[in-house]
Amino acid sequence: MPDPQPVPVTVLTGFLGAGKTTLLNRILTEPHGKRYAVIVNEFGEIGIDNQLVVGADEEVFEMNNGCICCTVRGDLIRIIGGLMKRRGRFDGIIVETTGLADPAPVAQTFFVDDDVRRQTKLDAVVTVVDARHLRQSLAEHNHEAEDQIAFADVLILNKTDLVSAAELAEVEMAVRRINAFAPIHRATRGDVALAAILDRGSFDLDRILKVSPDFLTAGHSHDREHAGSFSFTLDKPVDSDRFQNWIRTVSAVAGDNLLRCKGILDVGGPRRFVFHGVRMQLDGDYGKPWTPGEKRESQFVVIGRKLDETALRSGFEACVRTDA
Amino acid sequence: MIERFGAGWAVDAAIVGVTFNRAGKIAAYAAGDGVVQLHGPGVGEPKLVTAHPDAGALVVAQDVTEGGFLTGGDDGRLVRIGADGSAQEVVGFGGAWVEHVASHDESGLIVAGVGKKAHLLSPKGQRAVEHASTVGGVAIAPNGKRLAVAHYGGVSLWWTGSEGPPRVLVWKGSHIAITWSPDGKYVVTATQDRELHGWRLADSQDMRMSGYAGKANSLSWCDKPASLATSGADVAVIWPFAGKDGPMGKPPVELGGGNQVLVTQVAFDPAAASIVLGFDDGTIERVILSDGNRQTIRAAGGGRIVALAWSPDGRFLAFGGENGACGLVDIAAADAG
Repeated sequence: MPDPQPVPVTVLTGFLGAGKTTLLNRILTEPHGKRYAVIVNEFGEIGIDNQLVVGADEEVFEMNNGCICCTVRGDLIRIIGGLMKRRGRFDGIIVETTGLADPAPVAQTFFVDDDVRRQTKLDAVVTVVDARHLRQSLAEHNHEAEDQIAFADVLILNKTDLVSAAELAEVEMAVRRINAFAPIHRATRGDVALAAILDRGSFDLDRILKVSPDFLTAGHSHDREHAGSFSFTLDKPVDSDRFQNWIRTVSAVAGDNLLRCKGILDVGGPRRFVFHGVRMQLDGDYGKPWTPGEKRESQFVVIGRKLDETALRSGFEACVRTDA
Repeated sequence: MIERFGAGWAVDAAIVGVTFNRAGKIAAYAAGDGVVQLHGPGVGEPKLVTAHPDAGALVVAQDVTEGGFLTGGDDGRLVRIGADGSAQEVVGFGGAWVEHVASHDESGLIVAGVGKKAHLLSPKGQRAVEHASTVGGVAIAPNGKRLAVAHYGGVSLWWTGSEGPPRVLVWKGSHIAITWSPDGKYVVTATQDRELHGWRLADSQDMRMSGYAGKANSLSWCDKPASLATSGADVAVIWPFAGKDGPMGKPPVELGGGNQVLVTQVAFDPAAASIVLGFDDGTIERVILSDGNRQTIRAAGGGRIVALAWSPDGRFLAFGGENGACGLVDIAAADAG
């Protein structure tokens, strides 16, 4: 057997009734030529016979590593370990979470566990949002609903047929205020193109993070209890050591309030430095080379609560290389 | 060494475990495609046993009988494999993964870890004990009287012969492997946090053993002097358990490796004359304990070593790899030159 490639994992989140199971059944039945192992919490809801459907218990374990908010999904580590012993039987893994689940332990599992890191790669967190009920969930100051949107790499705005055009625009705006970076796909009964969900390579980060500045949290400082998005850009090379020290400090100080961060940095070398983080877990590496004549810039985006935009901006700006 | 004194081959499936039967003449190689290979002087021609059809094996262990094996699968079945290549279901658990299996020959006890339960199957009957979280490992005491189950938050010690609540050894974190010292005085676990944790059972004294780069979930005991070898670093890490305080306050001994490649498996030979290390890159190395002499049994390549097993007489070493590498080496013949 040749040395295998890491298996892509798609995490499917969304509130109860948002349409996760409908979407999952579509992924499993459409003729896309790929085979998926599926880790679900509610056995029996999957409408098809697939021997690689595994029931999970959502066992959230605290790590004993001195990092107070570091939790992982113990059952996920165990199940992925078991599935990898049969890796020839599937092309990818889909993890469905329960409606009320905090998405952080799932995402952190892919940063923290050595074996999961070695054998898989987190492809994307896909969050299904119920267009009809989202506003109510957000109005109830429901952190889980916000967190699921904040953690998303892809957002599915589902059940759009059950709301008016004006309501839909309002819901989309509410989603954008939390997460300004993930693409939003409108759907009815989960009818989104599967190419928009699977094989995204969202965590490869080799893509430009195109953001409409209208949705950034700047100027919404009165609203800091809610999750929001910030984006910072520099057109000068960044000192990678200085940046890594700074981002570690930022994540340690912000703790649970830092939900996601991503960045693509020009560190002066031939390749861009890409990184991402889930709460206090950070991971980075060199990505695609800059092409000749390409405009080099460094972009850093962050989603969280109670974040001090001014301090983040000046901190990021202080990472500029002084020798360049 | 393998070229001159053994055989190496590969299958198109991940090896999940390798063990010799108690008679020591046959090695079973269990794989993720549900097939168990039997090799060794006790079988003549190698046999392929489809123990878990259309499913995968997750674990293999010695049976309570002299010649047989037990496998657990992701089809929810505990299967007994005979030295003749037969396969027979012992118990079915309704599709729930059978991830841990242990047996004790004198008492005839078999333990299967399935979800949050450990099932005890003995000649007297079957019962199950349940835990608050999924079982991370099972170990039967050398005298067969107690069962230690690792889980989130510590270890539960059950009496194998009678009902009653467990004695719980508490230590926070997720415990993913467990072993009992040969003298029965200590229980040691490997944790998700890249540490070992031990308890001296006489007084529940905690012992923390840390400093690992990876998970220390391969554990091997040596009788004389009492010591425990573990994986999880780029060397074999060996903790002294002689004396009444065990490893407390003493540094571990480091053997072999040293090339920044993770040790994934360790196994003392039954006579405790040497230790074998399996590495992440497929290398297998043997270190002679008396003089520190090092021998390469298998060169790097073919993926991580996930299983090492000595025959009880110390003559043969069997191994298996994550990408399907398998091998059987006649160490006694190699030592004789």
